[in-house]
Amino acid sequence: METAVGIRADTLRNTLWRPLSGATLGYRLALSVAFVLGFWGLCCWGYQIVRGIGVAGIRRPTMWGFYLVNFVFWIGISHAGTLISAILRLTNAGWRTPVTRAAEAITVFALMIGALFPIIHLGRPWVFFWLLPYPNSRLLWPNFRSPLLWDLTAIATYLTGSMIYLYLPLIPDVAELARRTSGWRFRLYRLLSLGWTGSSRQWHALERAMKQMAGIILAVAVSVHTVVAWDFAMAVAPMWHSSIFGPYFVVGAIFSGIAALLLAMAIIRRVLHLEAFLRPLHFDNLGKLLFLMSLLWLYFTVAENLTAWYGNDPAEMNVFTERIRGRFAPYFGVMVFCNFVVPLVLLGIRRLRSVRTVTITAVSVLIGMWLERYLIILPTLSRPRLAAATGFYSPTWVEISITASTFAAIVFLYLIFCKLFPIIAIWEYKDVVERGV
Amino acid sequence: MLLNAEFNDRQSIAAAIAALQARGFGAGGIEVYSAQPLDLPDGLLKRPSHMSLAAVAAATGIGLLAIVFVRATEYSYPVVTGGMPLFSWWASGVIFYEFTMFGAIAGTLGMFLLESGLLRRGPSIPAPNLTDGRIHVRISCEPENIGPATECLYLTGATRVEMVEKQ
Repeated sequence: METAVGIRADTLRNTLWRPLSGATLGYRLALSVAFVLGFWGLCCWGYQIVRGIGVAGIRRPTMWGFYLVNFVFWIGISHAGTLISAILRLTNAGWRTPVTRAAEAITVFALMIGALFPIIHLGRPWVFFWLLPYPNSRLLWPNFRSPLLWDLTAIATYLTGSMIYLYLPLIPDVAELARRTSGWRFRLYRLLSLGWTGSSRQWHALERAMKQMAGIILAVAVSVHTVVAWDFAMAVAPMWHSSIFGPYFVVGAIFSGIAALLLAMAIIRRVLHLEAFLRPLHFDNLGKLLFLMSLLWLYFTVAENLTAWYGNDPAEMNVFTERIRGRFAPYFGVMVFCNFVVPLVLLGIRRLRSVRTVTITAVSVLIGMWLERYLIILPTLSRPRLAAATGFYSPTWVEISITASTFAAIVFLYLIFCKLFPIIAIWEYKDVVERGV
Repeated sequence: MLLNAEFNDRQSIAAAIAALQARGFGAGGIEVYSAQPLDLPDGLLKRPSHMSLAAVAAATGIGLLAIVFVRATEYSYPVVTGGMPLFSWWASGVIFYEFTMFGAIAGTLGMFLLESGLLRRGPSIPAPNLTDGRIHVRISCEPENIGPATECLYLTGATRVEMVEKQ
């Protein structure tokens, strides 16, 4: 029988379960490369712990380097999933079903990786728990007015919420998997399904919880990146102390998040052969959203820089000039090209918009947004208010390796996730197909 | 006694439940099992939910606890604030907000587990097999009502009706 979305009902079920069993050569190769790169990053971190933070390129006055750039970048990427999924769920967008789980998984993994960076950045990472507000014999209490502690609470809340938001709609699928599998998979799925039977009482509770969680998670997601922005904005540093930093960061986070989601969708579509489910319509819709965010990003970038230029404050102008015409100018040019010119051409011209061009734009935006984080952090630190303290930062091989390994780590985690759990919410998809939405 | 009826389509379910309720079977004794959520007409198998209330209560509770904790800590172990007040709503607002949201998340999860019955452990009843796409209606009834219930279920489109025993 042909369903409303043009897929035969029997192939629907078989195709959605297929990626969970077996592994193609391409999959194994990708997993191995990701593992080796990720492991290399762990070795580099070990080297840094043994030799001390001096092996990184961070020096006075640029005490925040690649690690903090990566922290902001990955927290931004985490907005891919939960936020986008929550918006689509609350607006009841019928086309969302093949996209939501892929998006929610990105959030959880990106948050895990992003939250690691402040710890990697610590001189003595083994005492990271001193950040936590717990009674201790040293009478040492964290400063609750510090944005770094705000970060800790915001990220912990977001991570908890995102994991629950990913887990709840997984329960019916893992219950069905438990009925279809044996051995360790059966034990794992049975444990995770919590005894789900599919009763109307359970469905009712699940739908209600998902709707409620979507609302809560939206509020938390916006706060998380605002708090990350306040890490900078609360400092009276040139080009940081700005009231629009919160919304500017949130817009950038959603922008890079959508790009990450599109790239992940393109990869799993190809590797797991899910072309029938992740259709050009999904890329087209998300591509339009990406283009909208590109315009919003440009608006905020212009607003932020124009205000600084017009104010003509010497300290701000030092940083501004460094960014626009100085050592950071090439990066600034590439950033504008990647974040605005590429989306304008490839997504703005309707004839050029396709799965391929949307994917190319997503890669371009990810590069551009990483550079944007770099350009927010480094120019301000290298040109502080005290002119004599001017310095420059160049990353070492340790920082570059750890940065590269985090990209590999997220690919590794994502590939493992795709093999353990259906990357498309099967019950939601079948529901949409049967209703003919 | 438990009766289990199999249905092939979603449309018959609402008719079956309505017919059962018309014959005096309470909503509490009727349960529907399906592989996807069912949209039943309003009022049919009405399940009141206190999830929103639980989320608000947990959010308020944990938010207030956070305020007490931060305030007590800041006064008991004062840090140098450069002449600014030890406790400030502005400076601690983010912490309170995040804890409040954490409470809402915890309240929602807790109420989901409670209302869905996933945490309830009692005598186990074999769950119907949903892999074939069929929908099952299970009725808890007295032995003398088995006949009328079975007749009602077949009339509304059940393909099979059988008794289920607790294990």
